[in-house]
Amino acid sequence: MTLTPKTNLMHKTKLQTIYLSLLVAFICLLLPWSGVALKLRPDFVLLVIVFWILRAPNKCNIGTAWFIGLWVDLATGGVFGQYALAYTVTTFVAVIYQRRLVLFSNTQQLVYVLLLLIISQLTLLTVKIFSGNDALGWTYFLPSITGVILWQAAVALGLNTSRPSRSK
Amino acid sequence: MAGYHQNLDQQQAPAFFARGPSPLARLAFFSALSLALMATDSRLQYLGTVREHLMVVLQPLQLIANAPSMLYDSTNEYFSTHHRLLDENQLLRKQALVQAISLQKMKTLELENTNLRQLLQANQSLEEFSQLGEILHVGRDPFTKKIIVNRGSAHQVVNGAAVVDAKGVIGQVTRTYPASSEVTLITDQSLTIPIQVERNGLRAIAFGHGRDNTLDLPFLPANVDIKPGDKLITSGIDGIYPKGLAVATVTEIQTSQDSPFARIVCAPTGGIENHKQVLLVSISPSESITPPNTAKQPIVNTDANHATLEKSKPSALKELDQHKKITNEAPAVAVDANTQNKPHAQD
Repeated sequence: MTLTPKTNLMHKTKLQTIYLSLLVAFICLLLPWSGVALKLRPDFVLLVIVFWILRAPNKCNIGTAWFIGLWVDLATGGVFGQYALAYTVTTFVAVIYQRRLVLFSNTQQLVYVLLLLIISQLTLLTVKIFSGNDALGWTYFLPSITGVILWQAAVALGLNTSRPSRSK
Repeated sequence: MAGYHQNLDQQQAPAFFARGPSPLARLAFFSALSLALMATDSRLQYLGTVREHLMVVLQPLQLIANAPSMLYDSTNEYFSTHHRLLDENQLLRKQALVQAISLQKMKTLELENTNLRQLLQANQSLEEFSQLGEILHVGRDPFTKKIIVNRGSAHQVVNGAAVVDAKGVIGQVTRTYPASSEVTLITDQSLTIPIQVERNGLRAIAFGHGRDNTLDLPFLPANVDIKPGDKLITSGIDGIYPKGLAVATVTEIQTSQDSPFARIVCAPTGGIENHKQVLLVSISPSESITPPNTAKQPIVNTDANHATLEKSKPSALKELDQHKKITNEAPAVAVDANTQNKPHAQD
């Protein structure tokens, strides 16, 4: 089947846009957070990755997530590969259900994003517990909540995971 | 389910949905890669230099990220009132005066100490080398208690250097990058610090608690001579922390029927989470402070020297009541021996 460039919606996203947004998210992570803000800090990088995975899975995929995860590992100063693994697993789930997103209402999409964020945190928690850290309290999952709030804010501002099939 | 999806692909998902390897294959590949990396990084020490080089790449981004808060600080400083500055100036003058007096006292004490040590033919205490660093940001990993300081290997910061603020010890340098270094706080789970109770000279090892900002003194018998309010200072027997720095104050002691050990909770004296400037102290820059895992041998030696010295000293120097405490010191020495083999900071 051949397609005219017009219907080829997914290619509308430029690769530069993706990398630029990831860079901005990464700088957000590097901001000197401390105290309560640190506990609430959403995972900007993962949110942006999930956004692009849902919107342009041909440009941003598990490999991208893994690569960015390595940089996040570097920035957090933990063992190499922790965030990379967490992001890999999360984006895998995101990619699997990506095409079902068409059927999702806004609320369902929010729940789905929350689930993804929690999956990422759970993966990280598992790795950390295996390497001998104590489990933190329930406050450990606060960033997922703030992440979803941020997602909703972004949607309200007009950003949307555009759905290719709908525009047909 | 996957099969159903693949069918869909072929029917209505045209070329632009061609995604290369399946998600599952990608997951398997990248997960394996991550796991391999984790294993390499935590068990073998190959990635240390890689990390250092990558941190150089990260440096400009970090600068950008720090710019807003630094701008805020500097404008704040700029607009701070004349009056406030005068007040602060006065306060600092007073402080300087007070400290100058105590410094004079310290000099005579130091001299006296060297003389006494010579008389006893004991080792000279080690020289200290310190430099001022500024906290760049708090560690981003919620599982560990770390801070990043703006002095790195370019400023001769070495792994293992003690980090101190005006009130006491706050941690130890565990990783150095070219322009910054990572400091593990004493409240981190993986950090241990040899301490001494100021009141009676009892030695023990303090462990970071991890979750709340406290320290534990485990493995001390229930009848140990420690009271709430006791000050804990560094014992200096590790060759890492200079002797006599304030570490923590005992806040709580619990003994229970079913445990032979007391549960001792201490609050750190240093402003673990509220200072901007810290002092990085390493003992004699010439004989480079080796990172914890390679420092085992010298530590054991100095400790042995010190232990014998500690026992012979009271007869020559101290009053009778020190003798009474020797019985108390016995368990502490045992603890020291146990924990010698442990690195002070496990990475």
